Amino acid sequence: MKRPMHSMRRACLALLGTALLALTVPSSAQETSSGTLYGDMLTVSQDMLTRAAGDGNNFLHTNGNYEQTRYYPNRQINVSNVHKLRPAWIFQTEIVESMETTPIVVNGIMYVTTAFNHVYALNAETGEQIWHYKHKMGPITTYCCGPNNRGVAAYGDMVYMGTLDAKLVALDAKTGKVKWETQIADPELGYSETMSPTAVNGKILIGTNGGEYGIRGFVKAYDWKTGKLAWTFHTIPEDSVGVWAKKDATGRDMLRDIAAEKAALVKMGDPYKTLGGGVWQNPAVDLELNRIFFVVGNPSPDLDGSLRPGDNLYTDSLVAVDLDTGKYVCHFQYIAHDVWDLDAVSPPILTDVRDANGKTVPGLLHAGKTGHVYVHDRRNCEMLRFSEAMVPQENMWVLPTADGARMLPGANGGVEWSPMAINPDLRLSYAINLHQPMTYHVESSPYPEGKLWLGGAFKVIPSEEQWGNVAAVDYDTGKIRWKVKTAQPMIGGVLATAGGLVFTGEGNGMFRAYDAETGSVLWKFQAGAGVNAPPSSYTVNGKQYIVVAAGGNTQLNFKRGNNIMAFALTD
Amino acid sequence: MMNVPNPTGRRVVFALMLCIVPFASAPVCAEDLEAKLALCTGCHGADGLPIDPSIPIIAGQEFYYLYVQLKDYKAARRENPTMSGIVAQMERSQMKALAQHFSEQKWPDVQAAVDDATVNMAQQAATAGQCVQCHLGGYEGNSRVPRLAGQQAAYLERTMLDFKNKVRLNSPAKGSLMKAYADEDVAAMAKFLSAL
Repeated sequence: MKRPMHSMRRACLALLGTALLALTVPSSAQETSSGTLYGDMLTVSQDMLTRAAGDGNNFLHTNGNYEQTRYYPNRQINVSNVHKLRPAWIFQTEIVESMETTPIVVNGIMYVTTAFNHVYALNAETGEQIWHYKHKMGPITTYCCGPNNRGVAAYGDMVYMGTLDAKLVALDAKTGKVKWETQIADPELGYSETMSPTAVNGKILIGTNGGEYGIRGFVKAYDWKTGKLAWTFHTIPEDSVGVWAKKDATGRDMLRDIAAEKAALVKMGDPYKTLGGGVWQNPAVDLELNRIFFVVGNPSPDLDGSLRPGDNLYTDSLVAVDLDTGKYVCHFQYIAHDVWDLDAVSPPILTDVRDANGKTVPGLLHAGKTGHVYVHDRRNCEMLRFSEAMVPQENMWVLPTADGARMLPGANGGVEWSPMAINPDLRLSYAINLHQPMTYHVESSPYPEGKLWLGGAFKVIPSEEQWGNVAAVDYDTGKIRWKVKTAQPMIGGVLATAGGLVFTGEGNGMFRAYDAETGSVLWKFQAGAGVNAPPSSYTVNGKQYIVVAAGGNTQLNFKRGNNIMAFALTD
Repeated sequence: MMNVPNPTGRRVVFALMLCIVPFASAPVCAEDLEAKLALCTGCHGADGLPIDPSIPIIAGQEFYYLYVQLKDYKAARRENPTMSGIVAQMERSQMKALAQHFSEQKWPDVQAAVDDATVNMAQQAATAGQCVQCHLGGYEGNSRVPRLAGQQAAYLERTMLDFKNKVRLNSPAKGSLMKAYADEDVAAMAKFLSAL
């Protein structure tokens, strides 16, 4: 169903687009010559990306904006009318497998990805396919936890995707044709890409997976136009020893045998070359401080600390580096010498917070696998507070044993990679939680050159109940404001809107809208497959949509599907 | 026999000149890949289905998994008297060619039945081990992770027990995981996976 006016507008835009093809350089002043607030609206300018937090039409970043608030400013869909939300269209991809993509929307065009690195461009108003790109996968891929992809970055006239065979691919946003691709790292050694890249100031930023394979983690910056490497920050410094911290960020004793570790360090040297430390979620970007902030994953091997003496810097840490150079600025380690895989994964959020004296400071939030929301001063990475635990914690920090030691949370968290959202008016952060009891087993084995290297095993305890939460945490106090229990552990992500709503999905196919203030369920929809991807929102021709992928999840084995579902209010 | 394009664009027959050491006896030179394949299919089945249920199906198995196994046999990271002898003189290019060939074959249809109680037991065990995280939802594997669906039950059971009992050592994480299972769980998973 097409409206004549809409078709005419599209035709005009297409003609204008052809005329401007040669002028598609982001962040240049000429781009704004067409007179709109955000640029010419045909290409993604730096200005559009910078102002995304106030853009009620597009959804330009995987986590909404550079601050990663996932707070969408349009309030057309709100607490009073959300009960009228209905499917507007459903698009089915070619791949029935785990979906973790965040739909990116640029001026009525939506870009989504699937497992095994397909990209689709869709008409965001109708769901009609515009183009389909299928990455020609190399024969060697090494990844745990599913052949996932979390979406594209849009910049200029291109979209960018990281691939399972550890490449960065730049596609023409209008055609889906490859403009360039570059090999980021060697997949045979355990490197792979599932995160969406981040585009900023002419650079495409991307980290790496591989914490289960003995990689040496990094964040790299590439030139947006040529794919040339601009800088690399190694998440594992050559001196990874640290300060021999005995307590975690919350002050609990981690039962380290420091004497044994020091002896091992003398014997085997610094383990930095195979110490893991993947970065597989987007960094937050602070353009005023000219810094990026990201969290670094677990050390390798996950459960066996005997082969990696020291604090294992900067694993399980918040890290800030300079945007222009990739040089280290500051860090904060949550768990030194982690032997539980309770690392730092969920992407950090930048927002003003109150310090201990009630003074407003530039803050940063991170939801840990431990089940806490950590609140930082982002000027120096220092922690200001941590929240109440959102899930049960038991036996922390019992060390893994040969026969398996039970500890809560299980190794998936707490909070997994799932991005939080915030409502800055309510000063609440929204996290989704898992309660999945596990036993932690340790068994030492040498570096296996690219094979799975856990140093033991994690085992779910089948006789114990599993469940999840949607939790709202006051980041100025650390108190939990409300919490809603769900039937299954939660993995995917959250979207908050200015309409006073919080959207998130479940493994059983339920997609729900909650009242941001109270946690009341205001709307729900059964998607038929696990809704385990972060939702996004956009507006076309004055109508606001909520969109989410329903493809299930490999990691928790939720029912697979292949749907992109867009919802709008019925008239 | 594999057809690959030559630099001028014409297609030529890709013949391998290799010497092999079957069963640790004196070297026997085979003239091309076909002779080599004949040796492989003698055990692994000309139609992709081995006659001996303890021998794995490799027709349709993942290329990179097969290649890594051949490398591991040669480096003694995985031990098997027959296979170790066969790969002893192989170059990596030859291993790749063989792995490529078998990965492009059709997976044979295995007729296996399993009762509901065994399925329940197996699924609970597989859930505890989070097996689909690597082997994927249909247990069809990908790249370095092998397909398990439709594999020979006797081979699967023996392999899992070999990992558990530290007979097979070339995937340490698998060894640690299997160690946490009772033999009955292993037997149930083997039957369940074979029937997929």
